[in-house]
Amino acid sequence: MTISNVSRRDFLKTAGLATSGLVISVALPMNALAEKGIMKESAEEINAFIQIADNGDTVIYCGRCEMGQGISTALPSAVADEMEADWQRVTVKQGDADEKYGPQATGGSASIRVMFQPMREAGATAKAMLIAAAAKVWKTSPDNCFAQAHFVINKTNQQKLGYGELASIAANMPVPEKPTLKKKADFKYIGTALSRHDQDEVVVGKRIYGVDTKLPGLKYAAIIHCPVLGGALKSLDKTAALKMKGVSDVVEIPRFAIPFGSIGGVAVVADNSWTAQQAVKQLKIEWSLGENAIYDTKEYKQQLVKNVEKPATLASERGDIEKAFSTAKHKMSATYTGGHLSHAPMEPNASVVWVQKDSCEVWASTQSPADIQKVLGQYLERDPKDIIVHVAMAGGAFGRKFKCDYVHEAAVISQKTGSPIQLTWTREEDMRTGYYHSINAQHIEASMDENGNVTGWLHRAAFPSISTLFDPSLVRTPANSLDDITNHLFGVENCRVESGDAKAHTRIGWYRAVYAIFYGFAFSTFADELAYKAGKDSLSFVNQLLDNNKNKEQTAQVKRAKDILAIAANKSGWKNRDKLPEGQGIGLAVHYSFQSFVAMAVHVEVNGDDIKVLNVDCAIDCGQVLNLDGATAQMEGAVVMGMSLALSTEITFRGGAVVNSNFHDYPVMRITDMPNVRVHMPDSDESPTGLGEPGVAPFAPALSNAVFAASGKRYRDLPFKPMSV
Amino acid sequence: MTQSIIINGKKHAIDVDGNMPLLWFLRDQLELTGTKFGCGSGLCGACTVHVNGQAIRSCITPVSTLVGKKITTIEGLSEKGDHPLQRAWLNNNVPQCGYCQAGQIMNAASLLSVNAAPSSEEIDTAMQGNICRCGTYQRIKKAIVEAADTLSKEV
Ligand code: FES
Ligand code: FES
Repeated sequence: MTISNVSRRDFLKTAGLATSGLVISVALPMNALAEKGIMKESAEEINAFIQIADNGDTVIYCGRCEMGQGISTALPSAVADEMEADWQRVTVKQGDADEKYGPQATGGSASIRVMFQPMREAGATAKAMLIAAAAKVWKTSPDNCFAQAHFVINKTNQQKLGYGELASIAANMPVPEKPTLKKKADFKYIGTALSRHDQDEVVVGKRIYGVDTKLPGLKYAAIIHCPVLGGALKSLDKTAALKMKGVSDVVEIPRFAIPFGSIGGVAVVADNSWTAQQAVKQLKIEWSLGENAIYDTKEYKQQLVKNVEKPATLASERGDIEKAFSTAKHKMSATYTGGHLSHAPMEPNASVVWVQKDSCEVWASTQSPADIQKVLGQYLERDPKDIIVHVAMAGGAFGRKFKCDYVHEAAVISQKTGSPIQLTWTREEDMRTGYYHSINAQHIEASMDENGNVTGWLHRAAFPSISTLFDPSLVRTPANSLDDITNHLFGVENCRVESGDAKAHTRIGWYRAVYAIFYGFAFSTFADELAYKAGKDSLSFVNQLLDNNKNKEQTAQVKRAKDILAIAANKSGWKNRDKLPEGQGIGLAVHYSFQSFVAMAVHVEVNGDDIKVLNVDCAIDCGQVLNLDGATAQMEGAVVMGMSLALSTEITFRGGAVVNSNFHDYPVMRITDMPNVRVHMPDSDESPTGLGEPGVAPFAPALSNAVFAASGKRYRDLPFKPMSV
Repeated sequence: MTQSIIINGKKHAIDVDGNMPLLWFLRDQLELTGTKFGCGSGLCGACTVHVNGQAIRSCITPVSTLVGKKITTIEGLSEKGDHPLQRAWLNNNVPQCGYCQAGQIMNAASLLSVNAAPSSEEIDTAMQGNICRCGTYQRIKKAIVEAADTLSKEV
């Protein structure tokens, strides 16, 4: 990592940063950020800027995208803490797409894991330079000075100099090689419950999201997409639409068959969004649907189940599973399934793009500005660097806004009409034109000895994988996507993992928690089923299963998983679960994903088919917690999303097209079902990891286990109570 | 003669097709973007505003039905952003992405105006039309209770 003094550099001007005062940049080698193929180069790129103006105003530019996960508060607060800045004087700004920020792709719960230490060091660097500046003014040694709340103070005579007064002098000070970091006990912001930096704007309706962008001369577009992946426009009659008052254009958008390009559709341009939406309904369109028109999720799921209930393609193997099975005291098997999910963030896909002869400017909610540059660069045949992307606050994203088809489409429309275009997808289009969480089936067979030790584990998974976005010819999930099964913390000596056939018939994408949703569900639900079979209580059974892990490389992880599970169990009153009223039960689950450990204890009341979740105790170990309030919020949100997918949400395809259309047939959780969520975070000195995703995984299995404890009914299919659409 | 509508105390001529829902009149014509588009079908509450003090879904309310009526949007709920609900929202760090929150606050304000001390069930019933996909419901509820409490002390 390199921290540099860039105060006088020319590029600050072009980036819109002031050129007086002190500006510090943080550059990480990109290979340190290599995240699941997002970044491969090993160049150094700047990830953040700290700017202290001559009046003391401090701006921290954060390159990571904000979508509600709180990153734009958490990371800058680490800078401010080390810098001894007064948080009230700090403004946080979202960096535009610029390779000077390095990888801005925001996903995989990686931001804090990767950026925490560099951001602290950057803050400490700024502090050291400000102190050096003050020492120079006072002709004293830096050791005779200390920093506090935006001032440097002279220990001898208590004189004070403000950061603003010092900024320009500090800009001429050498950058310290290894700045000293603060001790944990001295933190002011790190590890506290700092409020979101922008919430005062939210409550008065002044926070600007991607969908709120306004430009002079803006035209509004609405779109209807080809309902089936790979289909194309057969005929279009636009007469009626064009006759409508306020409608100016109808634009055909052919499929751009690269990852994250448009699926293809027809857009209408008008004076306002509503007119455009009405006009889309007047289009007479015939599609040729192509080969994916056979896609029917009900049949497909049944086929997946068949594919995992028979031998499939070997992905990994250790020990001798046949021997384990043939000498078993108990044997057991079960099959688990799950459906497609739509992210359905409250802000639908929207973007503003203005393509001109020699420029292209984008305003959009996005998780990956660099992908916008790449896709638009490719489409317009321009250098990706020349695509200017203003990263807007996203009204939720959950993985959907990693893909920029909705930006590509606005670029096509703008290029063809010459106007700046705001394209807003309707909710219906958002739900029907997704990058869905994979439909899936898993079959597990296990053997146990007379003491309830699991001796063999056969795990078959079949789901169309995200890799199909990049290689549509894949007929099954590649072995390396099943690594999280092979490396699961449960200690089983003899284990075989197989990949069942599962071709993709729609676009599959990352959805908050990704594969951990169904891996977590199968592992923790099956463990509970095994516990009953072995005649043990679920907590001691899972502990034993973890203790049996003899892999030295996983010893520390096993301990953390057990500790965190113990906390969730204790807080939920697990010990006294026998005393719960009739019809109530507690279920447990622990899952390790994205390098964080999350355990949940779900307490339910079951009445016939009616499942009421009363309490959820979440225990998390994500190392040192940067923002207590943000971490708590992420867990509350994970419970809500976990509950939606466990109980009710599922995307259904028939004839190749999505049947669901809006929140009436994609019933996400509402306030009436909100349980009491308690979040427990033990103090930790481990390096921090992320929390955006890992919280979602343990909810569904803990719920299945709780319902079984309460009623004896076992749910193995997500969602438990699908709506028929 | 052009008809008009009063939004946050200001009179605006209705110079659009009367069938246009208020939501789009606010967002695209007046560029008042605090009121959000979530579903367009009255299913999510993101677009909630007040008509004569009562919460309505602006995405399904044609402007022509609002001639002469007084509309309040999130931008006009209080002069200084200090409505007890807005304060309670900040106290409880309610927003995550924040996109749904204008609708949540407007809906809650309408509830408190007719029921100053709602029970837990009454809050659920009143707020169930407002979706928060980020999952801030627990805090929303706490903030409403807190605001109701503040209001009762102010009287
Ligand atoms: S946008 Fe009006 S209720 Fe959803
Ligand atoms: S805060 Fe994001 S939808 Fe409610």
